[in-house]
Amino acid sequence: MEKSFENALAELEGIVKELESGTVELDDAINKYTEAMQLAKFCNEKLNNATKKVNEILTDDNELKEFKVEDEG
Amino acid sequence: MDENKYLKISEINNYIKTLLDHDSFLNKIFLRGEISNFKNHTTGHLYFSLKDDSARINAVMFARDAQTLDFLPSDGMNVLVEGRISAYPAQGSYQIYVEKMVVDGLGALYIEYEKLKKRLNAEGLFAKDHKKAIPKYPEKIGVVTASTGAAVRDIMSTIKRRYPICEVILFPSLVQGDSAAPNIAKQIKRADEYGVDTIIVGRGGGSIEDLWAFNEEIVARAIYDCKTPIISAVGHEIDWTIADFVADLRAPTPTGAAEMAVPTIIDTNNMLDNLKIRLNKNIKNMVNTKFIALRNLKRSFVLKNPMAIYETKMQKFTNLVEQLKQNMKTFLNDKTNKYEKIKGSYILQNPFNIIEKKQNQYEMLVKTLKLVNPLNILEKGYSLVQINNNVIRDSEQVHIHDIIDIRFHQGEVKAEVKEIKNAKIKSKTSK
Repeated sequence: MEKSFENALAELEGIVKELESGTVELDDAINKYTEAMQLAKFCNEKLNNATKKVNEILTDDNELKEFKVEDEG
Repeated sequence: MDENKYLKISEINNYIKTLLDHDSFLNKIFLRGEISNFKNHTTGHLYFSLKDDSARINAVMFARDAQTLDFLPSDGMNVLVEGRISAYPAQGSYQIYVEKMVVDGLGALYIEYEKLKKRLNAEGLFAKDHKKAIPKYPEKIGVVTASTGAAVRDIMSTIKRRYPICEVILFPSLVQGDSAAPNIAKQIKRADEYGVDTIIVGRGGGSIEDLWAFNEEIVARAIYDCKTPIISAVGHEIDWTIADFVADLRAPTPTGAAEMAVPTIIDTNNMLDNLKIRLNKNIKNMVNTKFIALRNLKRSFVLKNPMAIYETKMQKFTNLVEQLKQNMKTFLNDKTNKYEKIKGSYILQNPFNIIEKKQNQYEMLVKTLKLVNPLNILEKGYSLVQINNNVIRDSEQVHIHDIIDIRFHQGEVKAEVKEIKNAKIKSKTSK
């Protein structure tokens, strides 16, 4: 299963805070940095390249159909 | 054709208004009813309707009169009012112009609402520790509301605008009428089972009766049992339904719920950029710090003067040897002193004194022994008389003709008893 955006972001934040705390060994820090950059890339892709999702409606027959929101006015 | 018989609407409406205004009964009238569709206009005028089981009438209370009220009217409240009936020609409607209004107990719905609220609260359905956190970055949102109307439109367009990467799935539900409550409960359960990150449940504003489904126990329990975090959005701002109390988060309006459900994509992008900047700054700082530390180490005194380490050690070693020597000397001196002391002691100097002392002691003992020897007394002329080796102290110990031994200082004899003088008997008789 693909990692969720929320989880990836939480992991990224965790690594940044850890590095900022200054308690990480240099070798470890470089590994973590690499990992964090991959997470950031993943998040960026999710944010920018994801196809715009359509609104959907789950009917009583458990069918997922596109749902058009009527325009205001 | 007689065109004159056709009246203008305003003419007939005004005519009716005149009739009503001139009716003395309608000029001062007293009504009992329940407030519904209450609106507090910005001008301070109150607009609402009064109703009972079978009918309703529109009511208005102008700001001047409303100022005298000692309570805040709301939907569901039973009230007693005093006022006049008149018409509003522009609308062709009649209404009561309320001048005085007092509370007439609590409205039936309101009482029911309060009772359920109290019971569910006691049961823990509103408990803070049961409330789930709303995911910050949801990827799928379920919406339980009517498929038509402002609520669904507001929610979906707000999410699209703020966070277009989020999928929105509508679980259409009735939101008004008798079957609304079970329908809402069923759709909440469906959304929960379908698997979404957050559920928004709600509808647009309306009268207390319109919102009533959200005050039903079945809806409250469906929200409580739902494993997915739920945001409630029922009515407009001031209406708090039971559903709002049970939900993990309460939004004042459907649009508000959508705003609480998703971040904006711009904020999210900025935050991500910020994280990346912090990350880069950090790793650079870290490498820099280590680099400086390394340079400092290389420049350190020890690395520049490797002999320094040796010199220090050498110094320490020399000190230790010196100390050892000193200790050894002290130790030897001590032992020598002790030996000299023993060697010079009196006993070792005069070993014969001990023997002489012992001999004197012996001679003393022999002398003492002589003094206590029982035989010494014979020397003075006393004799020792025995029979069968027993010393005789009493004449009763012997009989006539017994042989007794007599020992002198020099020599001894055996003798026969010729006569016994019994001193004891004599003394007995003398008594």
